[in-house]
Parts: sequence; C-alpha cells; structure tokens
Amino acid sequence: MTERGKEEREGKWTADLVLDLHSNLLKEIWEVVAALIGEAVLGLLFHLAIKKMGEKYLFLNSLKVTEEGISMDEVVEECRSLPAAEIHRGFQGLINHLFNLFSALAEGVISREVFPKVFPKLREAERLISQK
Amino acid sequence: MRLIFKNLNILRSTINAINMSFEIKEIVESAGHNLPNLFEFSAFGILWKEGSTIYLYQEESCPLSFTQEVAKNMVRVFSTLGEEPSDVTRVTLQVEKRKLRPTHMMMDSKATLKSYLTLPLAVEGEIIGCISLNSDQPNAFDAQDLQFFSVIGYQMAATLKHFQRFSSIKTIAIYDSLTNLYNRRYFEERLIGEAQKAFYGSSPLSLVMVDIDHFKKINDTFGHTEGDKVLQEIASLLKASVRKKDTVARYGGEEFVLILPEAGIEEATMIAERIRRLVEKTLFEVGKAQMNITVSLGISSFPIHHAESKEDLVRMADQALYDAKRGGRNRVCVFSGL
Repeated sequence: MTERGKEEREGKWTADLVLDLHSNLLKEIWEVVAALIGEAVLGLLFHLAIKKMGEKYLFLNSLKVTEEGISMDEVVEECRSLPAAEIHRGFQGLINHLFNLFSALAEGVISREVFPKVFPKLREAERLISQK
Repeated sequence: MRLIFKNLNILRSTINAINMSFEIKEIVESAGHNLPNLFEFSAFGILWKEGSTIYLYQEESCPLSFTQEVAKNMVRVFSTLGEEPSDVTRVTLQVEKRKLRPTHMMMDSKATLKSYLTLPLAVEGEIIGCISLNSDQPNAFDAQDLQFFSVIGYQMAATLKHFQRFSSIKTIAIYDSLTNLYNRRYFEERLIGEAQKAFYGSSPLSLVMVDIDHFKKINDTFGHTEGDKVLQEIASLLKASVRKKDTVARYGGEEFVLILPEAGIEEATMIAERIRRLVEKTLFEVGKAQMNITVSLGISSFPIHHAESKEDLVRMADQALYDAKRGGRNRVCVFSGL
C-alpha cells in the first residue's frame, strides 16, 4: 500500500482536510462578525463557546483567540491522533454554539450575514466526512 | 453617502456624550437622547452587573408589559453569556420614559417585544453588563444598526469600567477601612463645604466630637482585635443615631466626629445625648465578657459660639470634649467659651 493510501485508510488525509476547512471557516466567521460587533466582543463569544464545547471536545481548548484573531497552530498538533469525524463534530459543535450565541444576542442579524458564506463550507466538510 | 456621513456625525456626538458622563444614569440619559437619531427603537437598556440594575430609557407610551418583557429578555441574554443574574426578580429596574415617537405612532397597550439587539459590555475580557435596543416592530434592526450599536457599546464599556475603577479608588480614599465610616480626610473636605454653606448662608452648623471612655483599658485587657470590634460597634451606633444629612467620620483612634448641618445647639445636644444614652445602654461583647461602655461628647455650634472658621469649630468641640472628660466622662458638654 502506498504512503498516501495508508494515510487515507487511517483517516489522516481527511483529518488534515477537515482541519483546513474548519480553520478557514472560523477565520471567515471571524472576519464577517468582527466587522459587525467588534473584535473584543467577538473574542469573548469565542471564549464562551470554546469553554462550553471544550468540555466535550478537549482539543478545542487549544484554540487561541485574541483580538487579532484565531490561531489554530496548537489545535493542529492536538488533532494529529484524532479521527476526522471527531474533529469535525467538535468544530461543528463549536460553530453551532457560536451561532446560538449570535442568535441570542441579535436574533437573525448576524446569522443572515454569516450563514451564506459559511453554510457551503460546512456542507463541504460533511461531504468529506461522509466519503470516508 | 450623505446619509452615512450624517450617521457617523451622530455616532460621534453620541460617543462624545457618553465620554462626558460622570455616572451611569447620565450615560443612559445622554445615549438615550442621541440614539433616536440613529435607530428606531422602543426601549434602550443597560444592564450593569455591579448592583444588578437595568436602566431603561424608553418611549413614553411603552406599556408595562413591554418593559417587563425587555427586562426579562436582557436577563435571559445575560445568562446565556454565562453571567449572573439569571433571575429577573433579582434585578432592580430603573425606567426613564421619554417621547421618542410622534403621537400618531404611540405604542399599542398590548405591544410585545418583536426584535432586539443585545451586546455584552466587555472590557479586557470581562463582561461588566450588556446593552440592548428593543422594538415592538419585527425585523427592526439590520447589520448597519448592529455595527453602530457595537461602537456605542464599546465606548460605554470603557466608560463604565472607568467608573468602576474610579469608585473603588474613591472608596479607598474617603472611607475608614475598619469602621466603614468616612475618614478624617473626607471629614476635613466635607467640613469646608458645610462651613461655607453655614457661614455665607447664615444657617446653623454643629460639630460633635465623640470619644470612647477608657478605651485604652479595653485594648490592654482584651487585645486590639476586641478593641477593633468595639470601634466597629460604636461606629454602627453612631450611624444609626444621626439624620440622613449628617456626616459621621472616624477622627482618629477611638475618636469620632459628627457634622450636623442646619442643626443648632439644641438639636445637636439632643442627638449627642441620644448617642450617649444608646451607647450606655448597649451591652458590648468583649472577648468572652459582656460589658458596658460609655462615651464622652463635646459640641460646638455656629453661629452661637461665634466660630469664624472651620478650625474654630473643631477647636471648640475638642475643648468641650475635654470638659466632658474632665467632668467625669459619660456626658455631653457644650463649648462654654471659658
């Protein structure tokens, strides 16, 4: 079996893709929402969501959020040994919780701006997972 | 484009008004005054964690049910952010009603909350409260409203944080940490103001100096911790015995001082005598013992004692206190001029 074939069998290749996808997704969310509510408040919401979802998906606690943005460096390391589906579920939970917070604060105003940009990428992540 | 410039100008003056505010009520008032130029809303609210208070600035035709719905929603959102209070009954509601709409657009008595924008007030990663725009109209707010509101929220959070810091510094600066009475420095400042009012307005002003009798013996016998407890108890009795407008301060050691504005010699004597009797009747727990403690009090009063300055008033009250001590303690003496 080739090296790549081996990686695919172990889910590594997909895990990297899922990580990339969610990294872009979070950055996209950050850019759009920061423009609406400011980095300070958004950073706080991210911290709340990470705290909540980090209880179930420990690797999320390695996400670093500052007013400058999100850093995925440590998460990438944490996720090396995790199956792609687990990574996907963790990030999905985080994003869902963020959307819940957005809705609680501003009803549909934030979601209306973010959803069209984020939804296709979420679907893409789901497609990748289901292919595995 | 012209509309954006207009809105930015309004935003700028709103922020400026917030910056110029000296207390939270002023922030609500100045923001509430400016916000109708930026948004169409029925109620604007600030929930401030410290003191668990919601300040609402709202359209005068807002029915009570709408006000309650707004308060409940703000508390709910605040709880979602993981912050207390989670129960609306634990929140104090302060409402300012203003005419925000023309008469023909008055709110229905059955109006309900249809849309809102709520943002946490966050400074240095800490949530100190939240602000909220509320409307009885569906989809009343859009992305641009949210952008403007977040800028306002950012400024409010910074100003409120500044208040918090200022109030804790102020607390340290004016209160005696043991008794929670005003300290001597505050007393001196307060006396300047009260003396000016009295001297220029020709209204009476009295000063009472209070000293615990044989306090050194209590300290020596039972130790300083027990002595401190006595000071705290006497401080509470003093606070409970004066009028709202009076100032009670710890002058130093076991000595206290009372500023009694608009109190002539008779009223001051009555208050002093009330304090003396109250202390005398109180059974103090000192260590494992219960004991009676007494105080001596000296009074000076303007204009009857012809004091020409605040220093004169202090000196005269001190002289009267000395007379009370010399006369056998547990008594009230009025400055005699001798």
